Amino acid sequence: MATITLDKLVKSYGKARVIHGIDLEVRDGEFVVFVGPSGCGKSTTLRMIAGLEEVSGGEIRIGGNVVNELDPKSRNIAMVFQNYAIYPHMTVRQNIAFGLYTTKLDKQEKNRRVEDAGRILGLTPYLDRRPAALSGGQRQRVAIGRAMVREPAAFLFDEPLSNLDAQLRAQMRIEIKALHHRLGTTIAYVTHDQVEAMTMADRIVVMRDGHILQSGPPMEIYDDPVDVFTARFIGTPSMNILPGREADGRAVADGDGRLLFGIRPQDLLVRDGAAAADALELTGTVTAVEPLGPETLVHFDVAGQQVIATAPARAVPEVGSRVSAQAARSEIHRFDRETERSLGRRR
Amino acid sequence: MTIQEAGPARPEARAGGARLSMRTRRALWVWGFLALPILFYSVIRFYPTLDAFRLSFTDWDLMSTPEFIGVENYARMFGDPHFWQVFRNTFAYLIIGTPISLVLAFTIAFFLDRVRFAHTFIRALYFLPFITTASAMAWVWRWFYQPAPTGAINSFLGQIGLAQIDFLKSTTWALPSIMVTAIWAGLGFQIIIFMAGLRAIPQTYYEAARIDGVGEWGILRKITLPLLKPTTVFLVVFASIGFLRIFDQVYNMTTNDPGGPLGSTKPLVLLIYQTAFSSYDMGYAAAQTVVLFTILLIVSLLQLWIMRDRA
Repeated sequence: MATITLDKLVKSYGKARVIHGIDLEVRDGEFVVFVGPSGCGKSTTLRMIAGLEEVSGGEIRIGGNVVNELDPKSRNIAMVFQNYAIYPHMTVRQNIAFGLYTTKLDKQEKNRRVEDAGRILGLTPYLDRRPAALSGGQRQRVAIGRAMVREPAAFLFDEPLSNLDAQLRAQMRIEIKALHHRLGTTIAYVTHDQVEAMTMADRIVVMRDGHILQSGPPMEIYDDPVDVFTARFIGTPSMNILPGREADGRAVADGDGRLLFGIRPQDLLVRDGAAAADALELTGTVTAVEPLGPETLVHFDVAGQQVIATAPARAVPEVGSRVSAQAARSEIHRFDRETERSLGRRR
Repeated sequence: MTIQEAGPARPEARAGGARLSMRTRRALWVWGFLALPILFYSVIRFYPTLDAFRLSFTDWDLMSTPEFIGVENYARMFGDPHFWQVFRNTFAYLIIGTPISLVLAFTIAFFLDRVRFAHTFIRALYFLPFITTASAMAWVWRWFYQPAPTGAINSFLGQIGLAQIDFLKSTTWALPSIMVTAIWAGLGFQIIIFMAGLRAIPQTYYEAARIDGVGEWGILRKITLPLLKPTTVFLVVFASIGFLRIFDQVYNMTTNDPGGPLGSTKPLVLLIYQTAFSSYDMGYAAAQTVVLFTILLIVSLLQLWIMRDRA
């Protein structure tokens, strides 16, 4: 087990710089999830940690040792890929044992580790089958097994669940999280799915255009995003962002205002009756409703801008009708309209 | 349920003349397209092949009517030392040529796959012999093999003080000399196929192996070669058939005495050609053809069986 430290890490392809000197410290045993849109540099960062991409500048340290010039095999890490990268011509047992190809363990110990990994991952009945006979989730478990048997200092996951369907993905999320709990190994995990980030991470690292925007525990990022991008990226559906201004400490929607107000759909509640004195009230015409079961999402139009609010499950407003929705003052995120940086919330 | 059942209820379908069911119409189209090649192959390929079996039991000089003589052609062939020499030559081309050309092609493809500089140009250079006329190529190689001072190779050997080699005039060296030309001629095609096979292997397989600490040799043995097996099977069968049917390189490089010196380079196809069109002994040539056909069939089936996927 080990810490992973990124120190002013830079990656350039020719003149194009894709990672702009990022700093990060992954603590021993921590589960860190890199999240961001395509092309934000999260996969490149992970591949540099793995040693599959050269480092253009700065340092990577694993367990205190600078590994910039070390071959992947000397870094004592294991990686799980999006397309599993398990070999179709080998059985599950051979695939898992392939992780131990170069170790000097005796045959018995190798077998024991493979059997153990198989048991932990629920692959025991499939050990002598070929990958073609397995489902996507099982294949990904084989890939995890191959990583596990090496007992590495850190696991690297590169979008491991992106090829699975929604149901399997939800199940594998829980399994990987449980596995981390059990093994306690440092994990760096890359995904573009903010739900995976929220549900699995000890710490989320939000990246965009080769910069780290914010890094912190999931709820901290959810509650206090540092800018509009992070605010909209984390949480589903995305946070509503409206221009506005403050008058007497009260938020007022205003197309010319110098602020941006961010309100999560879950905090913007459709209701009749007078608003509390310091609450923000938005009124508009319903354009669409999405009943989800426990609640209903109501899309409505406020001065040409789409807003999503939440209504109780059985009180579904009609499309075309007018609704009002209210958000408490403490739930309104404020951003500078120019810089899009957060100004915090008034509590 | 078919359209036919619904048809009568829909007048416009009748008006369109579509009284046939969808299935029948589709079958008509399919067979319409298939008919031409089937007819062609039946007349040009399958009928003569089958007829060769019949002719192999006859004595026929093209002019007279074929006369049935039983297995006499086969008895004559198996008792003829010249036939057995040709038989040995043919297998020499097969057994030496196929592995050498495949190992060479794979090695070149493996490294060419990593070369970025002038990649397309180098690939084109390797492919060029494959599209060159066999006779033109053979004449260039004949010139290489000439004695000094004409021949390039012997001139070079002379300059560094080595003995001359009678490439095409020696019963020992003639067959290997021709084989080099034949291997070179087929190399380009095999390289292209191997490279396509290499490209089809996902990069992450290699990356995963690198992280697991597997070295170059291990990756080649455990990942690249097993995953390349379908390509290899195809090329082994393809190259084997090519070497078993070798003709044009031999014929063009030994024009004064085709298959010589003393029949030391003569393959089966050339023997068949001479029997048929120099000696006009069609029945005997047909018997030799049947033997070649049988060898090709056995070798191909054997290879497919040996290299079959056991998964």
